[in-house]
Formats: sequence, C-alpha cells, structure tokens
Amino acid sequence: MGSMIYKNKKPLLIFLIPAFAFMVVFLYYPFFLNIWNSFHVIKGLGQSAKGWNDPWYSNYLKIFTDPKMRTAMVNTLWMMLATLIGQVGIALLLAMMVDNIKRGAKLFRVLYFLPIVISATALALLFNLIFLYDTGMLNQIRMAFGANELLDFKKGSLAVLTMIIPVTWQYVGFYFIILVTGLNNISPDIYEAASIDGATKLQRVRFITLPLLHNVICTCITLAITGALKVFDLPYTMFPNGMPNNKTWLTGTYMYYQTISTKDVDYGSAIALVIVVLGVVLSQIANHALKEKDY
Amino acid sequence: MKRKGLALTMAMAMGVSMLAGCGSTPADATTAAPATSPKTEAATTKAGNDSTTEAPTEGQTSALTPVKLSVFSTYAGNDANARLFQDAYKAWEKKTGSTVYDSSAISDETVKARVTADFESGAEPDVLMYFTGADADSFLDKLVPVSEIQKAYPEYASNMDMTKVPASSDGNHYGVPVNGYWEGLFVNTKLLKDAGVDVPDENTTWEEFIKDCETLKEKGITPISASLATEIHYWFEFCIFNHRDVQTQNVIPSPDNKDDYLPLVEGITDMKEMYEKGLFPENTLSMDGKEAKQLFIDGKAAFYCDGNWAAQSIFEGAENPEDFTVTYVPGEGNRKSTDIIAGMSSGYMITRKAWEDPEIREAAVDFVMSMTTDDVVAKFAGVSTDALKTPAKIDKSQYNALQLSGKDMASKATGLALALQDGIPTEARVPVFDNMAAIVSGEVTPEEAVVEMLTLVAESKTE
Repeated sequence: MGSMIYKNKKPLLIFLIPAFAFMVVFLYYPFFLNIWNSFHVIKGLGQSAKGWNDPWYSNYLKIFTDPKMRTAMVNTLWMMLATLIGQVGIALLLAMMVDNIKRGAKLFRVLYFLPIVISATALALLFNLIFLYDTGMLNQIRMAFGANELLDFKKGSLAVLTMIIPVTWQYVGFYFIILVTGLNNISPDIYEAASIDGATKLQRVRFITLPLLHNVICTCITLAITGALKVFDLPYTMFPNGMPNNKTWLTGTYMYYQTISTKDVDYGSAIALVIVVLGVVLSQIANHALKEKDY
Repeated sequence: MKRKGLALTMAMAMGVSMLAGCGSTPADATTAAPATSPKTEAATTKAGNDSTTEAPTEGQTSALTPVKLSVFSTYAGNDANARLFQDAYKAWEKKTGSTVYDSSAISDETVKARVTADFESGAEPDVLMYFTGADADSFLDKLVPVSEIQKAYPEYASNMDMTKVPASSDGNHYGVPVNGYWEGLFVNTKLLKDAGVDVPDENTTWEEFIKDCETLKEKGITPISASLATEIHYWFEFCIFNHRDVQTQNVIPSPDNKDDYLPLVEGITDMKEMYEKGLFPENTLSMDGKEAKQLFIDGKAAFYCDGNWAAQSIFEGAENPEDFTVTYVPGEGNRKSTDIIAGMSSGYMITRKAWEDPEIREAAVDFVMSMTTDDVVAKFAGVSTDALKTPAKIDKSQYNALQLSGKDMASKATGLALALQDGIPTEARVPVFDNMAAIVSGEVTPEEAVVEMLTLVAESKTE
C-alpha cells in the first residue's frame, strides 16, 4: 500500500491543477492576449481594441525605427553586461572570500544580502542624494579633495553609468547568497585532498571551486540576463522619462512609459513581447554556451 | 481511496482560497438604488444641514451605514492643504464610523497617468479630488455629474456658485471645488538685492526680466530654478501666455492653422532662448522638479515659478523665509504682467461605481458635502480662491508671509486665465512636456513639437 502513492500519479496531478489554473488565468492568458493586443490599436489600459494596426505588424516595424527603443536596447545590453560582470562576478568573488573565512561569515552574508530587502525606490532616493549635483555626497567629496566644479553625474554619457551602478550594487547580494549556497555544497574533503596533493589556493579555485560551481553560475547568468531585461523601479525613480534627453531608457522603463504615459498600449505590448523573446533567446544562448555539466 | 479523497479536498481548498479574492465587493454592485430611499432622505437632510454650517466635529454621529470609502486627492506631501485634508476626513470618519482609504499623491504626470489607469482598469476610487479639465476627459463617463447628484440630493454643492467653475469638455460639472489656484513668480529678494537687481513688480516687462536674469547670471547667481526634464509646465504656461491674452490663453489651437498655433511655438522658442542664455540651472536637463524647488529654497537661485501650494513648503524650508516673496511673472505683448494663470481646475467628484452602490453612494455624497462646507472651504481656499456663494472669512493669522504675499498678488491681478495644459490630455503633452530637453537642445524644433502635440489633442477628441 505504501508504495502505491509512488505508482499512482493521479493525486499529484490533482494537486497540480489549481496552480496550473492560476498560471493559465493570470499568466498565460494575459501573455497571449498581450501578443494579440500588440497587433491592434489600443489607446488606454482597459480600453477595447479599435481595430487592427495598419499594417498589423506596424508596432514591430516601429521597434526597429524608434530611436528611443534603440537607446533602450543599447542601455539594456550595457545593463546586462554590468549585471553579468558586476553582479555575478563580484558576487562570486565575495562568496569565495566569505567561504574561506572562519569567523564572521554569517555577518558578511547578512551584510551583503541587506540591499535586497530594501525597497528599490528607497535605494533610488538614497543614490539620488549620493549623485546629487548640488551638495550631493560625491560632489562634496570631490570638492573636499580640491575639485573646482560640480560634476553632473546624471548628464550625458555619465547618466547610463550612474544608473547602472546602483542596480548592480543592489543585486550583488542576491547572487552572493545563491553562490554561497553552492559553495557550501562542495565537500571540504575535496579541498583537503587537493591541499595534501600540494594545490595552491588559486589552483583549488581554478580546478575545484569553479568547475563544481559551474551549474550554479549558469543559473545565476540566466537570472541576470532576464533580470536586466526587466529592471524597472530603481532606474525609473532615478531617471524618470528617460532623463536626461531620452538617454537612459531601458526596455522595462520604456515599455512602462509607452503604456502608461503615452497610452500607446499596443506599442507597449509589442515591447513587452520583445522583452520576453529576448529573455528566452539570450538565456538559451547563455545556457548553450555554458552547458550544464555533471561531475 | 482515502488519499484520493483527501487530495481532492485539499486541491479544492487551494483553488477556492486562490479565487476568494476575485469575488465582487459591494463597491462593484451595479444595481442602482432608488433615488429617494428613506435612508437617503435622512442622509440628505443631515448632510444638507451641514453644507452651509459647521464642519463635522468630534462626538457627532451619523445615521449613515459605516462603509469603507476609497478616496484619492492631490492633497499630499508638503502641500499646505494635505494636513487639513487629513484632519477633515478623520473628523468625517469619527462622525460616520466609516473608514477612508486615502491614496492621495502629489500631482505630477506619473500620478495623473496612474489615476487614468485606475479608471481604465476598473480600480477607480469612490471619491476623488482631482482636475476637472482634460486630465479627466478620458473617464468622464465614469463620473457622476453634479446636476445628477443634485436631483437626488438637492443640498449637494448648494453653497457653491458653480458658474465660477469651468465645465468639463462635455459641458457638465463633475467636481465640487474647494480651492482654486494661482501661479506666480517666487523670488529670493536677498539674492536680487546683493546683485543690485530690483524685485520684478506689476510694471516689469519680460524684456527687463530677461535682462535682470542675465545680470544675475553674470554675477554667478543661477537666475531661474526649473527642471526642463520633468516640470516645464509653469514656464510653458507663462511663455505662451506672453504671446496670447486672458481670453485666448486656454484655447487649444488647430494643428492645421499655423496662425492659431504660432503663439505656442513662440512661447516654447522663448523657453529655448532662456535655456541657451543659461538662465536655468546647469543641470536643468538632468534634475527633477523637487531638486529645482530645493535649489531655490536653499537660496541658490533667484526665481522659481510655482503655484500657491508651494508657498508653505518654501516658507518652512527656507533658512531665512523673510528673504522670499511672490510676484507676477513679467509679461509682454497683449498680456499685462498682472494677468496671471489662476482659477478653479479641480473638485471633489463621485465615481459612477460608488454612485451605483446604495451605501457607498450615501457615504460618498455625505463625504463630499462634509468636505465642501463653508468652514472647510474657507480653511482650504485660504490664500487661493474659492467658489463659495458666501465669501469665505479668512483668518490671516493662520498663514505665513509668503502665502499672504501670494494672496495679495492674486487679489490684485487684472486678468485670470486658466492653464492651457488643462485642456491638453496627458498623453498629448508628451511631445512638448517630455521632449523639452530635445527641443532646447535643437534636436526637435518647437514647431514640430507643438504640431505633434496638437495633432494628438485633435485625435483624442475624435476618438
């Protein structure tokens, strides 16, 4: 009788139905409706479609010709790169260092994870004060070290960097926790055996830690790529309306702007679909490039 | 078998718990109540008596069924009326036993978009204190006209002279006004004195003003604090007003008639010239409205254009509030400097959703009547304007010098014009309001931006 529960899968299916129904109603139905909407004229959230676009795929043509969308794509790619190097890379370094210390590891875990639990909007306001042109923290430090002129961190090409830094900083802790958990799963016996064989610390990282963390790093990279495509709250609070002069759009913020501010809901829907497609394609490319391995 | 039954029961319980939130609330009910039910009459009489006498006071009770009333207003943040609003609705809560869910927010383009989105997605509040111009055009069908409410509740807004209030685009009045507004030029008198520049007055011309700004600039002082990234509408109004007059300021021109829209192009060209002359802060394209205001409060800019709602926060935030005053934005052409942007552009509105639920309807009507009694309006209107039939008695001791300076400026105005932007839907403002950085940088010409904006306005009217 005890083994029947493993053979008979019907109870499991029944348990899966509510969650599946929830996903269908609140995710898959809106998703496919969103695709439908992107081909129609919709001038406000909740409003019904006023016929097909002319031509029906015009929003997708517009995506290729819209200079703001081009800016959003370029900035998002920069954000993705910063996420991969800045977030996953720094998180990996921190995780390995914390894994190697005997005292205070728990404290560092909490400290590095803390930014994740703070609201992105609050962090944006905090960084606004840090980067503030007049009497901002960085400009005060610069002036204290003899700078004669204030530097506008939100101007021109600096703006994108100013936007990327807080986002990168915010999520380091997220990947840090995932990687620390991965490191904890590596048996200390392997390191001990390597030490006995005369492996240096760098060799242990190169030939033990990184290969055994490979799959965890793959997961982090997938999360980082999809996360960079969706990032919204912190950049939009720091740089509303693509400020300055439409230089700081990201795919997420531009989709919101088109949908809510300009009420071009169908174009917003098309951008949303592009975000999903890019997320799937890029994460698949990353997965293929870094094939999961069994050790 | 037992396991199957247990599994089925648990799965059903999960399903039901997930769908529990999808049930309709009383606010969603669509059955209209009889216009003169006994309960309604009782509420009408009570509320009606309140309308021209006292604001709700502690200890009073109401015959209304306690309800949860969702309310949105633009009284929030540092607005002097935010605290008054909260005090007033808390008094109403005590009187009726009802609960107000207040989602008030300082008005900006994002908040306006949020309000519109709430209506579009069926998540509108029961009562909102909001703009009655183009900002509400997209959801007028979801609001109840004052005249319709007055048929069931004759005392509703009976203390107001609605002729002072501009009607919405369909000719109906939806909002019961509390306070009007004025827009003016806030001045740091100390910076001007130090630079040997006179404070602009009713005789100062636009040309003189620009020369004064250039003098300030030469002396290392930022002449005008303003964000061309997120808050351009004050200078947009006055620069265009300088090429129009009181009668035509808020008329939306046709995009097909250049003579009609030329004043808008000229006004925006003036803004571009001001930018090119360096009259705005160095980072005007990368700062937001709050930063611009703070720059002025900190005494680092000589002029700042804003409305009556800014007077309190400037006065309270300034280290030496006596260094600040309010004056007219200098004019040119047919506009006298003493012609100002002012009027009634907002009011308490009841949504159709609230109106169609008998209990919420009574509470909403009672709430609006409580919030628009003579006494409450006198407190809110204060240093701005009101639409009361009996002029409000203002206790001047309640207001700071900056507010009184603004009141004095507005009371001596020779002409009041409603803001042009009130007639432009939010989404149509985008080509000018969100693109000002591109305009002043020369990437888009003022004419291109104006024509695109007016085309969007024309399209929104045909939809």
